Amino acid sequence: MRLVDLRFLSRAIPAAAAVAVLLAAPLVHGDETCNSPYIAKLIKGQEDYVYVWTLGVEGLGDGWDKLVTVDVDPKSKTYGKVLSQVPVGTRGEAHHMGFTDDRRQIWAGGLDGSDVYVFDIATDPARPRLLKTIKDLAAKTGFIGPHTYYALPGRMLVQALSNTKDKGGVTGMALYNNQGDFIASYPMPVGNGGDGYAYDLAVNPTKNALLTSSFTGHANYMRPLGELIKDEAAMKRFGNTMVVWDLKAMKPKQVMAVPGAPLEIRWSLVPGANWAVTAAALTSKLWLVEQDAKGQWQAKEVATIGDPAKIPLPVDISITRDGKGLWVNTFMDGMTRYFDLSDPHAPKQTYEKHTGRQLNMISQSWDGKRVYITSSLLANWDKAGPDNEQFLRGFTWDGKELTPAFEVDFTREKLGRAHHMKLGSKVLRTAYAAPRR
Amino acid sequence: MRTRAGRHALVASLFALWLAGRAAVPASADQPDEPRPPLEFVPPEPGTYELHRIMRAPEGRVLTVDGRVEALSRFTRERITLLGFIYTSCMDPEGCPLAYRVFGRLKDEIEAHPALRDEVQLVSLSFDPARDSPSVMKRYAGSRLEEDRGLRWFFLTTRSVEDLLPLVEGFGQDVRYSEDRSTGLPVRQLSHVLKVFLIDRAGYVREIYTSTFLHPRSIMGDIETLLMEQRSEGDPARSATSAR
Repeated sequence: MRLVDLRFLSRAIPAAAAVAVLLAAPLVHGDETCNSPYIAKLIKGQEDYVYVWTLGVEGLGDGWDKLVTVDVDPKSKTYGKVLSQVPVGTRGEAHHMGFTDDRRQIWAGGLDGSDVYVFDIATDPARPRLLKTIKDLAAKTGFIGPHTYYALPGRMLVQALSNTKDKGGVTGMALYNNQGDFIASYPMPVGNGGDGYAYDLAVNPTKNALLTSSFTGHANYMRPLGELIKDEAAMKRFGNTMVVWDLKAMKPKQVMAVPGAPLEIRWSLVPGANWAVTAAALTSKLWLVEQDAKGQWQAKEVATIGDPAKIPLPVDISITRDGKGLWVNTFMDGMTRYFDLSDPHAPKQTYEKHTGRQLNMISQSWDGKRVYITSSLLANWDKAGPDNEQFLRGFTWDGKELTPAFEVDFTREKLGRAHHMKLGSKVLRTAYAAPRR
Repeated sequence: MRTRAGRHALVASLFALWLAGRAAVPASADQPDEPRPPLEFVPPEPGTYELHRIMRAPEGRVLTVDGRVEALSRFTRERITLLGFIYTSCMDPEGCPLAYRVFGRLKDEIEAHPALRDEVQLVSLSFDPARDSPSVMKRYAGSRLEEDRGLRWFFLTTRSVEDLLPLVEGFGQDVRYSEDRSTGLPVRQLSHVLKVFLIDRAGYVREIYTSTFLHPRSIMGDIETLLMEQRSEGDPARSATSAR
């Protein structure tokens, strides 16, 4: 294998010199609008694959959590079909995943434990393979429930949701190098306004700012939702804060009150922009986090999503590359909404469509013309019976209407519950691996 | 004869004095930090944060501009090293040329303070052994190579892809194969994302800069942080071993 790789690279380098300029690609802000700005390569044209990190369902197929690859190139003969699946041999509440900065790997994990799975997507982007499983997160940090996997140069910053002691929401972040070696951990701030809870993290490098949000611990997110919402004491154990960190020093600078479990964080990708948005799940509000003229960060509620009295549960948001639009998925009512963000201080809903009986993640292509939606929130929070649809649905977006393009029924295909998505491309094959033609 | 620890303490003190002097005159977040746009934030003070040992710098064989085969470690140990991969034919202004400009600025700044010259070194290592021969690297280095009395700046290449691969893989410096989707034809093109590696005296990568953080001011702060660490820990090789 190595000899093949070497021969290819030997040929490729002079060929590159003859055919094209050897590029030293600069850092670009944003990936397909919501990834780490340190991700090496944007897919600015048509993506070929959607990787779906999928929760296993006992009795359905092999029952394991798995990485599913779906062909989403409309010109392909296998458009809308499953190309591969990589089971990890456990069922541990598969949830989120993230690329390393070189986009050679996807790191993914489950909220029920602390294992982190590392997949190679560069050797053959259509057929990822499990490279290794990182098993020392809990032992090294005391944190469990790895949620967000965020690329820093040569490293991955992993945001956990819970801890080994009481399985509550007080937790922290762990830093690994891209080889999977543990480097350091950072507890979420407790006291002086900090509740210690965590959920998502996102970086604005030009401001040296790391922003974190907050959800709840294992003891809550693993309980059946119907039972949980009747438990008044348990419902008080949700995060109500966001924290701005000094990214370079990895020290918390400011704790901001953002009640109602602020979840996904999306920085504006416009160069020079100094704001991010998030959605508070329990209050159904959009919040703006912005740096003021004095350099201090301020959080303020700027819009309402649906009817908060009906608890629509906004579960994912996706910002457009120009920072002027925001997709919002709400789990309970199955609505996909579009907000005009031209004035981030006053977002206005301009479109909505019922896209499923239950909804979770939403991702868009860099050009905004394609939108992908999945169905599963958490195994014990998903709906039951006919409402428990499990799917990946692809849509086209012309600025006015979401039009269905394809669907993969994850139950019929015996895959499981479809959760987080990342986009892939066949042209992002690494030079180290020879193309097989 | 001065001991190594003593020399580190002296150098760190001089460096701190130099930074203090800088702070009294130009350095603020809104001032131009050529050759980059001004930083939009005030970096944390040197020594107030930790630079973790991210990984060991890989070992491998390289070629000097004189055509000698050497171990890379000869150029990445005993001093604080800034290493960047380059192509001499790179045209992207935010890529290799940017790294060259930043290295040039750092060299000038450090040389203005003789006590620092023996503490830091620069390495530009080519990705492109097929084109970047030792003589090409010598031309690329230009007058920088002749400045014998200044900060050491090594311009290195490799004999072959076989020699190059362990280095790019070991540093995690991605090199991508690509295709031209517009024509549907396989156009073999390589690209990489600019990364510069800060390596301590013991050979550990302590920071990785992409273009956003490739600011002389940030880098100088990190160099001072490492010097302060050396001063407090003594022999960096011993401290690195004990930390693992």
